Amino acid sequence: MNQKTFGLGLFIFLIIPPVANLMESVMIIHMHMQMPILVITGFLMAPFFQSKFPRFFEKWNQNGIPGILLFIIVVGYWMLPRTMDEALELWAVELFKFISLPFLAGVPLRDSWRKLGQAGKNAVIIFFSIAFITMGWLYINATMQLCNNYLLIEQITLGWGFLTMGIAFVIFLGYRFFFNPSAYE
Amino acid sequence: METVISHKGNSSVLKEKANKILGVNLQDAKISKSYLSVAFIALLIGGTLGLLQGLNRAGLLELPSWLNYYQVLTAHGLLLVVVFSATFTIGYFYAGMSHTLGGLLPKVRMMVWIGFWLKIIGVVLVVIPVLMNKASVMYTFYPPMAADPMFYFGLVFVVLGVWMACFGGFIQVANWRKNHKGQHLPIFSFFATGVFVLLVGATAFVAVEVIFMIIPWSLGWVDTINVMVARTLFWAFGHTAVNIWYLTAVSAWYVIVPKVIGGKRWSDLLTRIVVIALVIMNITGGFHHQIVDPGISESVKYMHVFMSLAIGFPSLMTAYAMFAVFEKTARKQGGKGLIGWYKKMPWSDVRFLAPFIAMLAFIPAGAGGIAQTTNQLDQVVHNSMWIVGHFHLTLGMSVAMTFFGISYWLVPYLSKRVLTKGMNQFGVVTTVIWTIGMITMSGAMHTVGLLGSPRRTSYSTYFENATALSWDPYLIFLAIGGTLLMVAAIMQVYAVFNLMFFAPKGETEFPIAEVEEGEAKTPYWTERWGIWIVLMIIVVAMAYVIPLTDFIVNAPPGSPPFKTW
Repeated sequence: MNQKTFGLGLFIFLIIPPVANLMESVMIIHMHMQMPILVITGFLMAPFFQSKFPRFFEKWNQNGIPGILLFIIVVGYWMLPRTMDEALELWAVELFKFISLPFLAGVPLRDSWRKLGQAGKNAVIIFFSIAFITMGWLYINATMQLCNNYLLIEQITLGWGFLTMGIAFVIFLGYRFFFNPSAYE
Repeated sequence: METVISHKGNSSVLKEKANKILGVNLQDAKISKSYLSVAFIALLIGGTLGLLQGLNRAGLLELPSWLNYYQVLTAHGLLLVVVFSATFTIGYFYAGMSHTLGGLLPKVRMMVWIGFWLKIIGVVLVVIPVLMNKASVMYTFYPPMAADPMFYFGLVFVVLGVWMACFGGFIQVANWRKNHKGQHLPIFSFFATGVFVLLVGATAFVAVEVIFMIIPWSLGWVDTINVMVARTLFWAFGHTAVNIWYLTAVSAWYVIVPKVIGGKRWSDLLTRIVVIALVIMNITGGFHHQIVDPGISESVKYMHVFMSLAIGFPSLMTAYAMFAVFEKTARKQGGKGLIGWYKKMPWSDVRFLAPFIAMLAFIPAGAGGIAQTTNQLDQVVHNSMWIVGHFHLTLGMSVAMTFFGISYWLVPYLSKRVLTKGMNQFGVVTTVIWTIGMITMSGAMHTVGLLGSPRRTSYSTYFENATALSWDPYLIFLAIGGTLLMVAAIMQVYAVFNLMFFAPKGETEFPIAEVEEGEAKTPYWTERWGIWIVLMIIVVAMAYVIPLTDFIVNAPPGSPPFKTW
């Protein structure tokens, strides 16, 4: 099985209602597992689109920046509590989630990542480190329920999830900063 | 600048060549021999204590009040699961790193010696309160049972000792890579790196548990402890620890055994992927030890089953790779038929026989592990003797027997001696006795566990209860198995010290198998340890954030220390 088929299979698996319901029943699994895996499915399916529409990507995403901006906007949108709530309440938003994360975030991420230079890649990781730590702080310290569908404790859990993930990104940046790969490779 | 680097490179290549021609570096050998000596002394003492337990559980022996069942159980667990396994692992990997990376650096040597003495101090500090019956908290030292603070300080020293050895390993590997730019780390040292990364990762959890929770609580600085958090931190360590010993055994299966049977290694890429997968996914597997714990929602437990079963996947890859190597090698040596090729395997060579039986044992052992990972099935066997049977099959067979098999070439290699025909024969007999003993004991434990016999309790008939009495025949088998194991343990320890000090002088090879000719080059991404470690941290964070936040935010008042014995 090649990665395109695997990506499609994984995508179909994730949108099966019992699977989607189970993953959406826990706030942190909704945001930190279902959504990233949806992005990964798009990432895996990207070669299909790249080979079908090479000119489109060449024309619109020449240096990778438009693609990564689209990725940041889509992912940033889905980090808001309200959007998660809406995905659970309105089927149209749920549908938008299943389309936007793989095809408007995963695909452009794959197309852009190789085109970005080292500095661009670092900038993206720095952006998400800051975003995750800020969101973590917000979710941990918010004294009221931010989502109608999730309890306060789930919100705090998500906050810690953001924070630990942000710390992992910082460790990665530190590794990039302190260890020069050319000394080993 | 360039000249300096190339000069450095040349000197290290020279060192490597010298190492291969002259055999083992004596200073490095001393380190490994010291670690292995401690390991096998721990095996002898721990094994003796195990026999005492087995005889007690069968109702054949009443232990005196000054050395009761729970003291014996605590010491047995710690000596075998922590001391024997950890010291063997470090001694073995340091011998291999010295061999494959061109000798240890002087500062690495110093670090691993400091680690050795820290561990010795730690073990002494742990054993004293156990002997004084002030620390009968067993190997898992679950709060709210509280031991004497000295016990926990001892554990801290043990962890510090392990860290010294791990960081020494990292320095050694980084140095080699600087001098061998763009080359893949030799496979043996690749395993060592994986094991040391996991050791640091796993022990970090228990260090947090002991230093920040248990020590202040046992000293009376804080009144209560959050039991669930402590248990969770413990199992992030405890499960990973046993998997590290397993990964150590696996390293010998992949790297050493093919050479011993005269074959080649199976796919270098697959081997490295197995190591990486086990490093990334291992720590989170610890959660399945808490699958019947209260305070964790069922959906979280359900999702964690995936995390645990994920570890089974690389094990299945290993099983495939191993049998592929056996069949290929045997066929090359003239083996024929669908399964008839097995006749060509060197059955009378203890260096093969012991790890082979160890691998075979991992089939039922792994299957039992999968059963225990499943919520409903675990409810039948949790805290029963089944579990004890399970980890005697995994650790006592798969791991320990591989270690025994390794000792028959590693010890002579380190001591510049040879394995004689007679000693090989002795090893085969030891292997057979150990196998029969462990099958008998572990089989009895599994069965009696299914019938409801609990673990961690000394012998009791529960007021002549009929069910409890029905366990007795099985418990007799447990004692018989335990006795056979004791015989084999004495023989094994004798073999190790004989090979170390009395065997005929000579050169023994450090058997590292080569890859198949014409195998595709392994891609370089396997060497990017920074990425694997960050991925490991992310997986651990994802897995533990739900239960830990819940335990801490919704924490009960906590528990004061209890001395239940």
